[in-house]
Amino acid sequence: MFKKILLATTGSPASFGAARVAFDMAKRYGSEVTIFHVVGVPTKAFSHVVNDVRTGEEVEVDEEYLAWVEEELKTTFAKQFEGADNAKIVLTTGVPAREILREARKADSDLVVMAASSGENASFHKGYPGSTLQKVAKAARCPVLSVHRESASYWGGFSNILFGTDFSKQAESAFKFALSTARELDCDLTIFHALDISGKVLDQNEIEENLIIARKRIRETYVPLMGDFKNYDIEVWEGTPYVEIVKLAREKSVDLVCLAHHTNELDPERARIGSTVEQVILRANCPVVSVSKPDKV
Amino acid sequence: MPQGELCNRKPIVTDEQLKLTLSDKSGKKYYAEMLELDVDTNALWATIQKTMKARLKTWLEICAHCGMCADSCFLYQVNDCVPEQVPSYKIQSTLGHIVKKKGNVDNEFMRHCMKVAWSQCTCCNRCGMYCPHGIDMGVMFSYLRGLLYSQGFVPWELKIGSGMHRVYRAQMDVTTEDWVETCEWMAEETEEEWPGLTIPVDKQDAEIMYTCNAREPKHYPEDLAEAAVLFHVAGTNWTVPSEGWEQTSLSMFAGDWECCKDNVNHVYDAIERLNPARVTGTECGHAHRATVIEGPYWAGREDGLPPKPYIHYVEWLAEALREGKLKIDPAKRIKEPVTLQDSCNYVRNQGLKDVTREIISYIVEPGYFVEMAPNKEHNYCCGGGGGFNGIGMYREQRNVALRKKMDQILDTGCKLVIAPCHNCWDAIRDLEEEYEIGIRWSFLKPLIIGMLDIPEGMRVEW
Ligand code: SF4
Ligand code: SF4
Ligand code: SF4
Repeated sequence: MFKKILLATTGSPASFGAARVAFDMAKRYGSEVTIFHVVGVPTKAFSHVVNDVRTGEEVEVDEEYLAWVEEELKTTFAKQFEGADNAKIVLTTGVPAREILREARKADSDLVVMAASSGENASFHKGYPGSTLQKVAKAARCPVLSVHRESASYWGGFSNILFGTDFSKQAESAFKFALSTARELDCDLTIFHALDISGKVLDQNEIEENLIIARKRIRETYVPLMGDFKNYDIEVWEGTPYVEIVKLAREKSVDLVCLAHHTNELDPERARIGSTVEQVILRANCPVVSVSKPDKV
Repeated sequence: MPQGELCNRKPIVTDEQLKLTLSDKSGKKYYAEMLELDVDTNALWATIQKTMKARLKTWLEICAHCGMCADSCFLYQVNDCVPEQVPSYKIQSTLGHIVKKKGNVDNEFMRHCMKVAWSQCTCCNRCGMYCPHGIDMGVMFSYLRGLLYSQGFVPWELKIGSGMHRVYRAQMDVTTEDWVETCEWMAEETEEEWPGLTIPVDKQDAEIMYTCNAREPKHYPEDLAEAAVLFHVAGTNWTVPSEGWEQTSLSMFAGDWECCKDNVNHVYDAIERLNPARVTGTECGHAHRATVIEGPYWAGREDGLPPKPYIHYVEWLAEALREGKLKIDPAKRIKEPVTLQDSCNYVRNQGLKDVTREIISYIVEPGYFVEMAPNKEHNYCCGGGGGFNGIGMYREQRNVALRKKMDQILDTGCKLVIAPCHNCWDAIRDLEEEYEIGIRWSFLKPLIIGMLDIPEGMRVEW
């Protein structure tokens, strides 16, 4: 299921965690990794000058520069390259989110892996607000795995998956992905719903009632889809969703959190990557995969 | 010395030559070769005799050297009013001299002319409005650029730009396959949110055919998606051609006349093939000038018009708003001081000044629109027109040129600038990058989409 992994990286330390996870997965599951790097954002109208993604400086993209960037990436990821026979580097210019989506589509990638923050440079980002991850997560046809910290407790291989649901339509796709990953990799799967009581005044009875309803809803919605898969638990907690997800993930030593990307914000410039997903990415100790489309799950 | 390998009188017509020229970093070798390039003075004079029409000849002769055009030129203003930047001086000392010498000029002089033609005039045609004789340096410089191009004295980027048009029929290496694929991709990505949305390619007899700027499919395909959303919401029967979709013409900036003609015929062929009722293009000024204002003459069309009514995007948009096909939710109108960049290419050159203000009246809460001064047909060039934006060698001069627009924007006190012209948009972005005055800028499409009053069920929120 992870035949083709697209590792979108800026080569900066912020993306080392993502790289480690991508390469570990590739080695473990025999996947092909493409290290994809957008060298710069086109600027100055139709000239051949771009702003280097890392330094923000103006550079002229030519063979020499590309060769240099490739060498840099090879050195940066030298350790990972060892033993990864199925890895290649692809360089391009353009607006990062767009180019990542273009490559994922072209290569028919099964998973995009990227850092939550790319160490974004302010100067070329003016006029392209909104984070790269957010745009990719929203439009990609395949799941998007983000790794926020290098220390993410990923010891190689997944054994505990946490699927968080808000019962949205997108959550169905996220569930399918979580289930098939759990099946294929023989993991425990926790299906979780956090009853959002933040900013609400509910009495205890009401909360209890809603918890029971949510539990029932999970049973009705997801259990029938699992067939003979038995390694699952259901948890329903009340609180602020992201806090509860992170707490549960820690408690259960989860090594992959799977959520649906969803947001009601219409303005893509303002739409954060569904605030729950974003908060979980920032706070969880493990990789977080966001799924928004039914394909590739 | 004869022709260089990269810098020569031949246009770029093959992919190999294009790649070779592109791989020459900053045009180093290209400009080194230019130092040695010989001038074919006979050919130059023959071209002048064949192509220089009465109007230009008369203009050169009747100029009274009164200097009244001086202040009209923004480049004169931002360059400390040095005499070298007086429009009449700029043209008399270049084109005027070549004509006087009957084409008998040397390499050094041609390089001087190149510098003046591409770094001291953006062909914004403002001076023509202020000269008592109506002498228009923009027109004359376009002509001079043609002469220079034919002799190989053209900035590296523009040699490549027109080469791109010749090889790919687009200003960037976007092939027909890339383009059609981008249409499919954008339709697929957008359709989830806008059920039923399509980007129909090569549909016959549509109400409207849409053309764009190759930078869009290349780097900003969202722009195409946004156009699709607006056509979809307005219930328009529209199409894009698989060939002839690229409306821009860097060859016009380069002075590659032959290529200009070829570009525009390519678009006209698409119109004739698909037979739409009307055509519109993207938010781009020079694309419109090339295909709609100048194009018919390049193509030799006797009526001076494209094969079908060809409107600028702002005209289409104003009409859709006026007729209620697109409705703005009053609560979402812009409620902050906002100003508008009038693009020389379709405002001064075609008079589309009121229609953009009509759009403003729908999308900006009354009292928040601040005009630049001067404005409409008197507005100044964004500072990056005529190819200036893209030429590395003249970056410094271009950055100085941006100051006029910067001051104009600062004077309005607005933080938001609407720029319905791709090149103006780029220039304003660059000016923010260069001078950091804390502004934002936008095309109309994304602004309007954010403000639409969308019929029930048309958009799926997720
Ligand atoms: S205003 Fe007209 S006549 Fe006077 S110097 Fe300028 S171009 Fe010549
Ligand atoms: S066309 Fe514009 S830039 Fe050129 S001389 Fe006239 S006013 Fe100046
Ligand atoms: S970029 Fe815009 S303002 Fe500048 S010359 Fe072109 S149309 Fe005019």
